[in-house]
Amino acid sequence: MESAGVDRWGDLLAAAQTGDAAAYRRFLTEILPFIRALASRRAGSDAGVDDIVQDTLITVHRIRHTYQPGRPVKPWLAAIATRRTIDALRRQGRVARREVSDELAYETYADPEANKEEAEDSSRSLKRMTDDLSPGQKEAIILVKLKQLSLAEASAVSGQSVAALKVNIHRAIKKMRAMLAKGTTE
Amino acid sequence: MTVRPVEGLIDELVAEAKPVAPLASPGRRALLWLAAIGALAGLAIYFFSDFDQLLLRYSGREMVLAFEITAMLATGVLANLGAFASSIPGASKRWLAAPLPSFALWLILSGIGCYNLAKTGSAEVEFGESAECLLFIVAASAALCVPLIWRLSRARPIDPLPVAALGGLGIAALSALILMFFHPFTVTFLDLAVHLLAIMIVIAAMTLVGRRTLAGAA
Repeated sequence: MESAGVDRWGDLLAAAQTGDAAAYRRFLTEILPFIRALASRRAGSDAGVDDIVQDTLITVHRIRHTYQPGRPVKPWLAAIATRRTIDALRRQGRVARREVSDELAYETYADPEANKEEAEDSSRSLKRMTDDLSPGQKEAIILVKLKQLSLAEASAVSGQSVAALKVNIHRAIKKMRAMLAKGTTE
Repeated sequence: MTVRPVEGLIDELVAEAKPVAPLASPGRRALLWLAAIGALAGLAIYFFSDFDQLLLRYSGREMVLAFEITAMLATGVLANLGAFASSIPGASKRWLAAPLPSFALWLILSGIGCYNLAKTGSAEVEFGESAECLLFIVAASAALCVPLIWRLSRARPIDPLPVAALGGLGIAALSALILMFFHPFTVTFLDLAVHLLAIMIVIAAMTLVGRRTLAGAA
């Protein structure tokens, strides 16, 4: 049963390589539980699994040309998901070693409930601003500034060169500053 | 932190997906690469090396020469095959160990040759000549590493470290093999140590530079 499903994934990915968008969507949707389960098992918890799943999907997209039609797709997919899980665990380890958590530092008011509205506003403003960026700029800002990946890691995840990432971040920040100045995020 | 829902990401990926040509199999890509090196090395050896002198140096030890060349060639071929195979997700970890037996055999055979030479007292130690060997291996490897990294980067390896290390061993072994045909004197223990040092330098440089470059290409 599982084998038949996995063979179908191979067929779907092979069709996606030829530009079949529907097959590609089905492939990406059907592999989600497999990636999620593998990431949870490797990471030892569900924390951060959503990020790993997204990183894995982006990597699958970037290197989909390395899948050879007719070959088993599961080892290929598992290797990508495992690698992205290891990267995420290393990143978490680095952050844990360098940073001290201070929940209060993020709050404007002593009562956490009082900050909810402002946090939602900020989130909406940020989304509006990033929506206006080009895909490359958006990806660069999300990976480097929001997810706090190093340039090398962001480059590995996105497929953009380090130089391109720097240029995209610079342009994105410039554009977002201009938006803030004009008040277009309101 | 969930930056965007996974369904939204799938929408984006599907929207920007263009047809892609599947990469040829790692074995085929590696063999093309090795054929290109073989053709260039063959021409260089044919036109510029002194093959008669090589046979003279190994006179009475032709079998040792044959085994040594075979071991070096096997190391270079297996390491290059391993580098291309490892650049694809899901490759067997056994590729990492594949070139090691032939590499060990090559060192043992060279070591035995050096030992016999030292025993007969005919070995003359000249570091200047050994330094030229080091330069040859490093320079030839440097020339080979640029097209190799370019070829390997086509796969955008997700774990560039083993790819770069195997690639380094592969081009260093092939460079050392080519050097044999231009080596104007019998290999002593010092030469062997210098050859080994040169190979280590190439692997280290390839691991550092190649890994970064391949990670950037990924």
